[in-house]
Amino acid sequence: MSSFIRISSRKSKVDAQSTRILHLFSSGLSSFLYKFVGSPSHSHHIVSPSSLFWVGSRCRHFSHHVPQDNILISRSSFIENIIPLCGSNSFGNTNFSHRSRRGLVFASQIRFWGSQAASEQSTSDGLTVDGILANNWTILDENEGDWKSHATAVAQSINLIKRRLQWRKLMVRLDFLSAQLDKQDLWDDPVHASKVSREHGSLAGKMKEVIALEQELLENIDMIKLAREENDEDLESESMKALLNMRRNSREKELKALLAGEQDLCSCFIEVQSGAGGTESMDWAAMVMQMYKSWAQGRGYKVTVVEEMPGEIAGIKRATIKVDGEYAFGYAKAEVGVHRLVRISPFDSNKRRHTSFAAVAVTPILGDASAHVQINESDLRIERFRSGGPGGQHANTTESAVRIVHIPTGITAVCQNERSQHQNKASAMAVLQSRLDQLEMARQAQLNAQHTQSLTDITWGSQIRSYVLHPYRMVKDVRTNYEVSDPDSVLEGDLDGFILSYLSACLDKDEDGA
Amino acid sequence: MKLSLSSVYRSSNFPAILKSSAFSIPCRSFCFSSLSSSQTSVKAQIPLFLRPARCSATLHDLKKWHDWAKNLASSIGLTFEQSDNGPDSSLLCRELKWLLEDAVEDHTLLPLMGVQNDDKRVTMRAEVDELYNLWNQRIHERRPFQYIVGCEHWRDLVLSVQEGILIPRPETGHIVDLVSDVVSKDDELKVGVWADLGTGSGALAIGISRILGTEGRVIATDLNPVAVAVAAYNVKRYGLKEIIEIREGSWFEPAKDVEGKLSGLVSNPPYIPSKDISGLQAEVGRHEPRVALDGGVNGMDALLHLCDGAALFLKPGGFFAFETNGEQQCRALVDYLENYKSTRLCNFEIVPDFAGIQRFVTGFRRQAI
Repeated sequence: MSSFIRISSRKSKVDAQSTRILHLFSSGLSSFLYKFVGSPSHSHHIVSPSSLFWVGSRCRHFSHHVPQDNILISRSSFIENIIPLCGSNSFGNTNFSHRSRRGLVFASQIRFWGSQAASEQSTSDGLTVDGILANNWTILDENEGDWKSHATAVAQSINLIKRRLQWRKLMVRLDFLSAQLDKQDLWDDPVHASKVSREHGSLAGKMKEVIALEQELLENIDMIKLAREENDEDLESESMKALLNMRRNSREKELKALLAGEQDLCSCFIEVQSGAGGTESMDWAAMVMQMYKSWAQGRGYKVTVVEEMPGEIAGIKRATIKVDGEYAFGYAKAEVGVHRLVRISPFDSNKRRHTSFAAVAVTPILGDASAHVQINESDLRIERFRSGGPGGQHANTTESAVRIVHIPTGITAVCQNERSQHQNKASAMAVLQSRLDQLEMARQAQLNAQHTQSLTDITWGSQIRSYVLHPYRMVKDVRTNYEVSDPDSVLEGDLDGFILSYLSACLDKDEDGA
Repeated sequence: MKLSLSSVYRSSNFPAILKSSAFSIPCRSFCFSSLSSSQTSVKAQIPLFLRPARCSATLHDLKKWHDWAKNLASSIGLTFEQSDNGPDSSLLCRELKWLLEDAVEDHTLLPLMGVQNDDKRVTMRAEVDELYNLWNQRIHERRPFQYIVGCEHWRDLVLSVQEGILIPRPETGHIVDLVSDVVSKDDELKVGVWADLGTGSGALAIGISRILGTEGRVIATDLNPVAVAVAAYNVKRYGLKEIIEIREGSWFEPAKDVEGKLSGLVSNPPYIPSKDISGLQAEVGRHEPRVALDGGVNGMDALLHLCDGAALFLKPGGFFAFETNGEQQCRALVDYLENYKSTRLCNFEIVPDFAGIQRFVTGFRRQAI
């Protein structure tokens, strides 16, 4: 017999242990199940990716670490630089000579871009992006060479991207952060300060990208009009080509905006837990896990099994994989929830139809160490696998599983796949860390009323998708009604349709008229 | 060069039971390359994962082997576990995965196995034929996995191990933590000379030397020339030759020069009572050296000798930690220390391992008055 043993105190009695431990183990499991499968209202596990938009360390265009001396430069000295930036035709303004003199000044300018900076841009004859949309021009095929079609398609894209970025909230937040950055005492708390400046940099970067897009669109329209007035065919075709390029690239930009959340870029853990129902549901859990492994490998992510608890006859009771790669969390977060299978069970000798459930959890692995929740060593109980019997020199085993329990929250993490206890402990700690980080993010999201919208309905508890193999064949997402009639391809990892339709549904329904 | 078993066991007086089982291992086609050791004529084997990748196989052949090996592992079920607390199928399957990882140079090719590119060749550290042999040994002879791959992942180290030396146990790692605690409270111990007696693979000596840093010294002794060679290999691999000195000989004998000078003394001596040897798990009883397991009638022969030596060899304030067979031995040892050694040694403590079994006895040499 083997079991997990807790190190309780130095005086623990050996003989009473196995039973106590077995109890501990099974009750631990059931509370785990309760937490993750049976308790949809459990606020702890609400992920609020809207919070993803607020803490910005993923800015691709601006330095994460704006040097302090630039941060502290007074606001007024930059206002004059910023205002022209916001007008559409002012890039030649001489004020930008500042930029060449001081390499990083541009980055710190961005922080003063608040909502006032995003005032509406227009062409020389007053056409705005909203104006283009309001015209309701028919969108013809790309090859038609009709600038109105191109412009409308691009304007629609810009609109969609703004919605996905939650444009209005982004402006409000940016104003708020700018005000924070202006405070004299900001750097008294360097951790907070760097958080604020990083987030500001990231949001400003996103905003700048959209504004640049709008500007490019309007400039191209201006050029086309100008070219027509002056009968300059070269200029016209050049500008038309530029517009067409914008149209062609807009899909990609829309997609990127879907994954603009703070943690979206992170790698993640995917955890699958079988529901009630014995071997049939354990087999289903294994199928779901296999689906994610194939999906992740298909996307070129690196997949590592962290932990796997096999079922007695088939399948798995539970398993965790680590998915390494860009945007792993951004995509996988759309899979959180309960997955339902209907089929004739191969484990039922009477060939009856069974319904089984598997729960999926996804946690981001934060790349930024300063964002981690501090874990007190004394809050942890570390349980190691041991074979029964006297141990020590009596036993030779390569089993080195480690389970870590975070006592205050009851959250546990197990790793058994590494070759030494040391490594297993390190891996289990990484899982625990990401779970606690996620818990903390959810808590903060709830504190902030602005964060409560958007993807908050993601919980372990809610059913998100049905896979029916009998009497008909179909996979249907109950959140988006997206469906596919070929379950095999889905189970082989073809999930992108489901994921993208869900992500866009979540973000696009929000912020009407942004 | 092939390691000759007879030369390994020649010098020690091995009980017949071990001799017969040791020689019952069929002559292996799998032969490790060897590394010469300065101390003795015995060669340390290079672990599989460090061998040059000179072999190759097609994905098809590799998959065929893997399927065969997996089937073999699955067929075991709970048989070993029920007979002597040995590994079950799932554990064997995990070992199989690790064997594959150690044997194949480029791990990214493994997921391709059986998918396509059947004729694609994979660069390997062993021939597929050898892998068949090794896995047969693992299942049919219960040869420990660590001997199969030639290494044990112990704490944050990967230590070379081979027949003739004890495979370090996870429990023993706790001694390193105990030393770490003591050293963090007393800087003087950190810069002194420590000793690991009966070092085997050198695990404790290496673990401790990494705590002491560059200012400490560790003397590691073992009477078994194989252990001396393997420990030297491991010490060299971790770049600790300047800190750890390995000496061949029984317990304190090769360390006479440091009598009364040691800052610390650690050991995982043989402690299993002789009568229990025959009932051991097959991996242990049939393959690991009896000299590293058998502690005499009540298992305490070496432990008592170590306690006597601790009283003489430690300097005032010096620390000792020994691993034992469990609660009974811990109590008996503390009784012995209190009754016979309390004039020189003090602050005895019994420390449990991670499974809650009372496993270690620790104490200090009294400060000079």
